[in-house]
Amino acid sequence: MLGLFGTLDMGARALSVQQEQMAVTGQNLSNANNAAYSVQTLNVTASTPLETPIGDEGTGIDATSITSASDPYLNSQIQAQDSLTSSLTAQQTGLENAQAYLDEQITSTGSSATPDSPNGLASSLSTLFDSFSAMENDPSSLPLQQTAVQSAQNLSTQFQQISSQLSGVRDDLNSSIQSEVTDSNQDLATIASLNKQIVEAESSGGTANDLVDQREATLEDLSNQINITTSTESNGAVNVNIGNVAMVTGVTQTDSLGTFDASGNGQLVLQANSAPGTELTGLSGGNIYGNITARDGALADLQTGVNTLASQLITNVNSIYSQGYDANGNTGQDLFTGTDASDIGVNSSLVGDPSEFQYSSTGATGDNGTVSALAALGSQNIAGLSNQTFSGNYAQTVTDLGSAISSVNDQLDTNESVSQMLTSQRASTAGVSLDSQMTDLIQYQKAYEASAELVTTVNEMLQTVISMKTQ
Amino acid sequence: MQVTTTSFGQNFLNQINQLETRQSTLQNEATTGLSMTLPSDNPAAMNQVLNLQTEASANTQYQSNISAVQSSADTASDALNSLQTLIEQASEIATQADSLSAAQLPTYAATVSGYISQALQYANTQDSQGNYIFGGTANGSPPFSATTDANGNITGITYNGNSDVAKTDIAPGLSVTAQAPGENNTGSGAAGVFADSRSGANIFSDLISLQQNLASGNTSAIASTNTPALSKDEDNVVSQISANGVLQSTLEAAGTSESQESTSIDSQMSNDTNADLAQTLTLLSQTQTAYQATLQSGVMISSLSLMDFLQ
Repeated sequence: MLGLFGTLDMGARALSVQQEQMAVTGQNLSNANNAAYSVQTLNVTASTPLETPIGDEGTGIDATSITSASDPYLNSQIQAQDSLTSSLTAQQTGLENAQAYLDEQITSTGSSATPDSPNGLASSLSTLFDSFSAMENDPSSLPLQQTAVQSAQNLSTQFQQISSQLSGVRDDLNSSIQSEVTDSNQDLATIASLNKQIVEAESSGGTANDLVDQREATLEDLSNQINITTSTESNGAVNVNIGNVAMVTGVTQTDSLGTFDASGNGQLVLQANSAPGTELTGLSGGNIYGNITARDGALADLQTGVNTLASQLITNVNSIYSQGYDANGNTGQDLFTGTDASDIGVNSSLVGDPSEFQYSSTGATGDNGTVSALAALGSQNIAGLSNQTFSGNYAQTVTDLGSAISSVNDQLDTNESVSQMLTSQRASTAGVSLDSQMTDLIQYQKAYEASAELVTTVNEMLQTVISMKTQ
Repeated sequence: MQVTTTSFGQNFLNQINQLETRQSTLQNEATTGLSMTLPSDNPAAMNQVLNLQTEASANTQYQSNISAVQSSADTASDALNSLQTLIEQASEIATQADSLSAAQLPTYAATVSGYISQALQYANTQDSQGNYIFGGTANGSPPFSATTDANGNITGITYNGNSDVAKTDIAPGLSVTAQAPGENNTGSGAAGVFADSRSGANIFSDLISLQQNLASGNTSAIASTNTPALSKDEDNVVSQISANGVLQSTLEAAGTSESQESTSIDSQMSNDTNADLAQTLTLLSQTQTAYQATLQSGVMISSLSLMDFLQ
């Protein structure tokens, strides 16, 4: 039998456990809006009972541990999903920038009521070939020659603008990659240091719940940059691998990320700094991967497409044009200068004097053979453009970019809803429910009042016992 | 499923975001009347629009080429018709030559002299752009020049043009020209208007010969040589006139077909890009209702908690 003092002690321990419960509830309520926080619970157990002839007799309550509701399996799913979603978001941003610079945007407020795309290369290409065609009926007309030269200049300027803007998008992607690599390395260092604190804290038993939550938030931040694989050691430390390279092992950061220019043309790729110059493989997610994919995928295709179009235009137009004669019988000049979209231009001498336009194939001033062949070039299938016409090939290039973005958008829609589902699942299990905490609070308060009542009652009983003796 | 502070906020935000995105897309469709604006909205339709746009632009250019050729063709038609009348009149003089008195002959010779100068004017006709339409592709300067004798009579005409013509595209794969070479004695290419080796026509030389024969009173040569020659000349001009007629009807047909094609391209482009406004507006009003409901219910729920009821 416990006796009055035993019961008093039981009441005192109950009060202390209930205070502890209040403290944990308080911690939970304080972190109600902390997204990285996992709700904590004070685990309690009935104290070891006393064996008595009439059976086990309870001795009250003991607090055993504080555990958090975080679910490592759900967390690793969220990490993987975050990597995928942020990779797609990065691709979406990069490619949508490229799309904006192309300026192929349909409007219905232009010169005609019919919806068309009046500002892009497609329209400038048509204008050029139309201006050649317009010269056919009166090839020696200076105004028509001026119009044709002007169209060629506009087209060249537009090619150059698009080319430099697309290079700008590529440079932006490269600098994003670099800053994301810096962030990732900071995350790796943070994870190693949190590992150290966690191992130290848990070596004396228990779980370092708040540190684990912090580490989880850092792991998720890192997952947003690049896809990682993790494994947990028995001492509580989490090992982090990127690709096949161990970045954090136990409490130490064993490697870090870096970039290098593998192809020599400004396309930065990832390396592990322990193996400089070797491209890191096994990447499949995160902003860094998304930026690399956008840059080397749809953006590179677009740049190649625009450059090939420009270089084929230069070659094909010049090979016809240089054979022609101007009104004074001069021949052999080129219409376009340059080699691709970055440096395409119009022969400066022709710009200065459009009457030097070489339109005649025979030298006769009324002949239009050359300009007629140039006009016909617009509807010819060009071998160097996969046997498509100039405008057909460009339309295909634009469509390819559109399809790439549209496919990223679709994937992103799906993945975002998966991300949202997983996050809301975690918020539901590991987040703080005010209602549930408030209910707990009332319970603990009532229990505390009850335990206090027990102490008061035992105290009165003790008084009674003492007063028995003095009577 | 337990609803926690963070999960409620996240879900609420996700729902609002979704509805806002949808609302903004529909709002955009309703204001522009377009179901797509960017390549990524509908890549296949964008491809079609860009190709149709190129076609439409080429089409517009063809139509403008047609009116340019049309204008030259009208000029050529006028010149050819006047030329035919002139040759008919010269032929009449040639036929009547036998019945004319010796005193009348010089007067008629002078009339024919006038015809030659007239014909030279027709031969050097310029179109509205200032190009000589009977000069072949050497059309920058007058193609015909005359040599005159001491009396001011034209004794010879030289052709400075060539026998080439420059054709203008008026439809895919169809090019035409209103030009004709003034002379073509090469035996190939476009027929010459004033002289052509294939038809045997040579208007200036025949008119000059007629004038000289009238002046010299050689009426037998007129009957034997000039009358049949002028008949060939007229045939040659008539065949040019009918070619011009064919050209005019080709231009008209091509113009009609292109304006029909323009209409059809326009409607295809509209079909590809136009939003179904009835549907868009219905969806927009549905989305707005859902958005209002979400906001109202969200605000209502989030302002309440157990704490409101604990005393």
